[in-house]
Amino acid sequence: MEGRTKRLVLMALMVAQALVLSIVESWIPVPVNIPGVKLGLANIVTLTVIIFFSFKEALTVVFIRVLLSSMFGGGPVIFLFSIAGGVLSTVVMAILYKKASKVLSIVGISIAGAIFHNIGQLIMACIVMKELSVLAYLPVLLISGIIMGCFVGIATHFFSKALIKAKILM
Amino acid sequence: MLKKGDLILIGCLLAAVLIGYGGLKLLGNGDSGSQRIAVIKQGDKVIRKINLDEVQAPERMDVSSEYHQIILVEKGRIRFEEADCPDKVCVKTGWLSEKGKAAVCLPNRTIIKIEGEGEKVDGGTY
Repeated sequence: MEGRTKRLVLMALMVAQALVLSIVESWIPVPVNIPGVKLGLANIVTLTVIIFFSFKEALTVVFIRVLLSSMFGGGPVIFLFSIAGGVLSTVVMAILYKKASKVLSIVGISIAGAIFHNIGQLIMACIVMKELSVLAYLPVLLISGIIMGCFVGIATHFFSKALIKAKILM
Repeated sequence: MLKKGDLILIGCLLAAVLIGYGGLKLLGNGDSGSQRIAVIKQGDKVIRKINLDEVQAPERMDVSSEYHQIILVEKGRIRFEEADCPDKVCVKTGWLSEKGKAAVCLPNRTIIKIEGEGEKVDGGTY
């Protein structure tokens, strides 16, 4: 049963890391004032969980992270946006990791995740605001998704290497 | 580290960005020379429509719902002046004066859009 305990502890640590990253992220100013343009640092953790654990675990980590972070700062509407983006991006990344690892590296998967995070949020925005014109933000969000997806993918690459090297995960 | 698929993905996305921008430009230039109407919506309700070219004196409007929020209108321009929502993206967006521009506050579900008078005709299509 040692394996189960270890897994539980690691999952808890992942949630904690994702939470801290999303708090740290809110301290870093982004130069563009467009709703939804974010660094997405917490995605490093989601992607890592997808790599070392499974889709189910990743979804759990995302759900707990989003729930807690919108309790700390945010509110019910922010929760709706984050959960829409978080769940959609996790689903897409998990599928791509499983099916398309041959053609896509972690960076590519991370970019896809970032973009689907934005798309999920935009869909939620359309529903909440009952206003299709928010879709006009998509091109800008795609650009920021590519840039941040690259960064997050590279960070995940080094993070997972470090985890393997430290023999925490394999 | 990068694989072939990554580059194809980035290429496709950049193409999508270009097409998106092109499409928006075409839509934005649909009507010209007409008046600028600021439409303030909250949730699915239109709270107010203001003809920006006919504003006489600056006016403050309280549109607080979930969060405290003030809109300021002057002749020819409009903005979210203050809000206590968490991200304040709406306030940072600043002044709006061009047609097609919008400022959105997601937490408070408020949106300000600048529309042209001529769009009333287009409205008949949907």
